Amino acid sequence: MTALLSITRREWAAYFRTSIGWVVIALYLLLCGIWMSASTIRPGEPATLRIFFTMSQALLLMVAPAISMKLVSEELRTGTIEPLMTSPVSDWHIIAGKYFGAVCFLLTMFAPTVLYAVLLEIIAEPDYGPILSGYLGLFLLGMLYVSVGLLMSAFTENQIVSFLGTLFFFLLLWFMTTQGAQYVGPPLDERLYALSPYTRIDDFAKGVIDTGHVVFFLAASTWFVVAAVVVLESRRWR
Amino acid sequence: MIELQEVAKNFGAVQAVRGVSFTIGTGQVVGLLGPNGAGKTTTIRMITGTLPPSRGRATVDGLHTIDQSRRVRSLLGYLPENAPLYGEMRVESYLVYRAGLFGMSGRSRRDAVQQAMERCRIADVSRRRVGHLSKGYRQRVGLAAALVHNPRVLILDEPTTGLDPSQIAETRSLIRDLAGDRTMLLVSHILPEVQRTCDRIIIFARGRVQADGRPAELIEGSGGGRRCVLEARTEDVAALTSRIKGLDSVSGTDLEEGDGAWRRWRIAAAPGSADPRAAIGEACLASGAVVRELRMESSSLEEFYIRTIEAADRRESEASA
Repeated sequence: MTALLSITRREWAAYFRTSIGWVVIALYLLLCGIWMSASTIRPGEPATLRIFFTMSQALLLMVAPAISMKLVSEELRTGTIEPLMTSPVSDWHIIAGKYFGAVCFLLTMFAPTVLYAVLLEIIAEPDYGPILSGYLGLFLLGMLYVSVGLLMSAFTENQIVSFLGTLFFFLLLWFMTTQGAQYVGPPLDERLYALSPYTRIDDFAKGVIDTGHVVFFLAASTWFVVAAVVVLESRRWR
Repeated sequence: MIELQEVAKNFGAVQAVRGVSFTIGTGQVVGLLGPNGAGKTTTIRMITGTLPPSRGRATVDGLHTIDQSRRVRSLLGYLPENAPLYGEMRVESYLVYRAGLFGMSGRSRRDAVQQAMERCRIADVSRRRVGHLSKGYRQRVGLAAALVHNPRVLILDEPTTGLDPSQIAETRSLIRDLAGDRTMLLVSHILPEVQRTCDRIIIFARGRVQADGRPAELIEGSGGGRRCVLEARTEDVAALTSRIKGLDSVSGTDLEEGDGAWRRWRIAAAPGSADPRAAIGEACLASGAVVRELRMESSSLEEFYIRTIEAADRRESEASA
């Protein structure tokens, strides 16, 4: 447990020791802030954060690959993976520690946006149900995206390849679960729609917490994390 | 403490290590020498459990390096080549992190970090970022990280690569201090470093152990241990050469071109024989040669190493021909 915590803490702190964490948070908050003031904090607009959640989901497509691209790739490139893999920690601890570190960074990035809810409280009477479920959905989506990035990062020591691989996966998933599903038609389209995180996430923003959606995000994230463990483990057998 | 039995490692068609066996006892300091691509680092990785052997068995303190890998790793302190570190971390934070990986926490972790910093003489840079340190300091931080959990076995892969002469001297003295109470395996290209630090050397080439023993014994046993250099002028070079070859205390001679009429002989002393200089002097007198120089010359580990590697290369070419 101490080893897992050590890796998690190091990963989370590493974002703030280098510029990447600060740059990602600054850009995310800047874009969200502009969007919020231009669309939500205006007379006559409903007191909800739905536009913020939609904007955040779109931004996560870029933010998640940016924060996950270095997780394993950098260790492979610099050789720091060797002291890590010769310490008495399992590959599970290494990957889970890195994953939790990145997820904690996402939480840190989302934390200042709670001010938007405070702002709404000051100027109107928001319904907190959709706000809380929206945050839950955003967090689950972030977990899924980071797990995909973690797997890509375990494949290569090149961070750019890891970034582009993750982005390409998201675009492919979007295409398969929209245009692709329409193209193949029934009965396969239903299965493809079911794989779409984009349609599932809309329900959270509306204030609906569907257990099926929660299980989908948790199961999919776990699958990618386990795959990353297998990829790392396979390095010991080459 | 470390035991390898017929350990081999193949990467596809490439045989990186081909049936290596050796045992390193508790408290021994052993140097692993060999040219690039000899299989040293692959062997180290099999000992640390990073790579599984294709065949054979490797154990540390009786524990199988793959089946009981995590227990083996808890006994080892390993400094890989070029000391890979997180440049953005501060020295102390990095060591605290490393101690955490070995399950240490609280006061014991703080004490272990302090002790490692003091032993490796890096307490004065504890608050500095690793990436801002000189290469010599970074190497010492890597050593402190390998030592922080007080391992019973220390494995150092090329610990002085890329350092300047004063940094090499500092690191070498540090390694000598650390060697005192633990089993140590030191991989190096720098022969004087190994000769001064290690009780025993193992020379690797072509994926096999080519020589294994105490440095002095290896040099002596190879027949290159003691040599005489004779410089003399004589009418009949062949007669003098054959007279010297005939001496009991001499095992062989090499004649070299000299300066004008002067000729130079390199004469190997027979193993276990007395100093052959007196007999050589008498042989010169008997042949009517004028002697300008007659002195003993000790063969170095470097010469022995080169001879061993060349012999391994020759055997390999003959086998493949």
